[in-house]
Amino acid sequence: MKARMLATYVALPVLAIAAVSVEAHAADFDWMKFKGKTVTFLANNNPVSQALLTYKADFEKLTGMTLKVDSYQEQQMRQRLVTVMNANSDEVDAFMTLPSREGEQFAASGWYADLTAMSKGAVAKEYDPGGLSQALLKAATFGGKLTSMPMNIEGPILYYRTDIFKKCGLEAPKTIKEVEAAAEKIKSCDSAVTPFVSRGLKPAVAYTFSNMLHNIGGSYIANGKSSLCSAKSKEALDTYSRLLRDFGPPGVVNYSFQQISALYRSGRAAMAFESSNELRTVMDGGARLKDTGLLPFPAGEAGQVPTTIGWGMAVSSHSKQPDAAWYFVQWATSPEVQKKMALQGIAPPRPSVANDPEYRKWIDEEPVRKEWQAALDVLATKGSSEVGYPIVANPQSREFIGQAVQDLILKQKSLDQACADADRELDALIAQK
Amino acid sequence: MSDTAATLTQDRQKLEMSALSAPAVIFTVGMIAFPVVYTIWLGFQNFSSTGKQSFAGLANYSKLVSDVEFWHGLWVTIALYVLSLVLQLVFGVWLALVLFHAKRLPGIVRSLFISPFMMPPVVAGMMWLVILDPSLGAANYILQSLGLPPSDWLASPTWVIPTVALIDSWQWTPYVALIVLGGLQSLPSSVYEAAQIDGASAFKTFQRITLPLLLPTIVTAAILRSVDLLRFFDIIYITTQGGPGNASNTLNIYGFRVGFEFFNIGYASALMLTLTAIVFGAVLAFNRLRGAVAW
Repeated sequence: MKARMLATYVALPVLAIAAVSVEAHAADFDWMKFKGKTVTFLANNNPVSQALLTYKADFEKLTGMTLKVDSYQEQQMRQRLVTVMNANSDEVDAFMTLPSREGEQFAASGWYADLTAMSKGAVAKEYDPGGLSQALLKAATFGGKLTSMPMNIEGPILYYRTDIFKKCGLEAPKTIKEVEAAAEKIKSCDSAVTPFVSRGLKPAVAYTFSNMLHNIGGSYIANGKSSLCSAKSKEALDTYSRLLRDFGPPGVVNYSFQQISALYRSGRAAMAFESSNELRTVMDGGARLKDTGLLPFPAGEAGQVPTTIGWGMAVSSHSKQPDAAWYFVQWATSPEVQKKMALQGIAPPRPSVANDPEYRKWIDEEPVRKEWQAALDVLATKGSSEVGYPIVANPQSREFIGQAVQDLILKQKSLDQACADADRELDALIAQK
Repeated sequence: MSDTAATLTQDRQKLEMSALSAPAVIFTVGMIAFPVVYTIWLGFQNFSSTGKQSFAGLANYSKLVSDVEFWHGLWVTIALYVLSLVLQLVFGVWLALVLFHAKRLPGIVRSLFISPFMMPPVVAGMMWLVILDPSLGAANYILQSLGLPPSDWLASPTWVIPTVALIDSWQWTPYVALIVLGGLQSLPSSVYEAAQIDGASAFKTFQRITLPLLLPTIVTAAILRSVDLLRFFDIIYITTQGGPGNASNTLNIYGFRVGFEFFNIGYASALMLTLTAIVFGAVLAFNRLRGAVAW
């Protein structure tokens, strides 16, 4: 959806006002205001929260508050959140959220506290809310309410083996057609490796497929109806599933980020289209450090429209101490903490941190980090946060996208049948209010 | 003390004992009853995607009838149940016989035989996910080393149910074997001595004596495994999440997704209550069978 297209660092009027009004309140700001209170944080146990919680003691020392961390894997975290929120419980004060996935749904359910006023009011001088990625703030704004503050910036990028490309006489691909041509050549040139791998697991497909769809020029919704059967969307479905079927690993329909990273890291894949967040995992052990190139996913007929999302930190609408929770959110998304997280490989959602000399020095230490940051810069400037359908039932919509792709990978349906079946189910979801 | 006075004292003691145990009984009954009653109530509610709630009457149950995913989930659940139960009972009895007759088997070997079911299902699922990975796993490496073609295992819509049944059977066959072993050890030796005197072969002894006498024990094992197998969740959740496509989407997995991923708690409750009814039905059927084969 064009309205959700990100144009990072283009200031939103609301936040420009916020930035101005911050000055007035910053002088009165006292980090110790809620000393003695306990804030409960529901965390997704991923690299972002792991990096953040390294500095938990710093928060407690700075504020005199106790931070109680309730940490689960992503799916279990949402399960816990649904239970807590449906019970109108105040057990959770702050939680991690993915606006691109559940933003519409949680906002419509009234689970997010409105951070618009908080980000204007009790703000430390050094916080600088205007310095956060405006595009990600916009993606976290629903019905005019700011629902979360960005913790990181991420999106799928293409990891490719420079040594295999060189051996096979290939250049880095510039277009989707060149990706397919490279996969074809690698298949005959080096039969020991999987030419191309990306997500095939049903609920995970939308993350990478959306990038392909947007690059080719397709869209999820046209005139209020699901449009997977439009010419461009069909081309995207066909290309994505063909790449995985003809050049992917056996069993790719069960592949998500864990399997993809493991396959690429072990040296058994020539190209992997996977999250920028996986850099640390892929480089673990150092085997891929010197033979990997990184790119935003190559252009299609509509150019490059990378998928760009980020985890956000939200305050629960049922919290009995939203102001204390906001202090935690503010600390967690402050320039100082985000710089420390960036040095652990968590891409910062602040241009000021991305340009920080210390961070730049870390980036410059390895060519692969430079390429990673260059790809992230493209994601930040050209990205779209549309992953799946921009509707309340977004998580369910991802199932049907994944089903269509799997039907094609497994050759269980024709292209026309797969997209028509998906469109029928998705139209019913779109019609739900 | 007169009889009347003694009766009054006994009644008073009973009353006192009842009063003392009442809090524990009320708490236990409440802990069991509340979730069930609450789920029944949820089954009559409609929750929109945004969590808004309204009374739905029987709408959630009538939706089941026309829900293709429900019928598919029921088929997957039953297929997985039948296949796993047969495998576990057959191999469980066989393993029990091996352990029963191999009396000199060292304790460590016996422990190894029964160790899989002590492993958390999540760990077992993760382990098999790695072993059965079509690209990196040991299973295909072994097949190819033997000159056999590789398999897609959990990634094949055709093979996913047999593969999951094999994983579950690997884990739970020893549990069935332990139950059957207990039954074997309690069989009367006089019957075997009589059979030996009559010159019955080992197979005939097993067919005509051991198996009929073991049937009540085997049915007990079948009841215990039925309850778990019809609620199949953890290994599928770890290995396939119901895929590829919907090929391993059991009712339990489907209900979980409807409730906790799509937030339709009302419909998920209706699904889970239907599954509970199926489990009860299976247990009742096996109980009747146990009554019929008791000796």
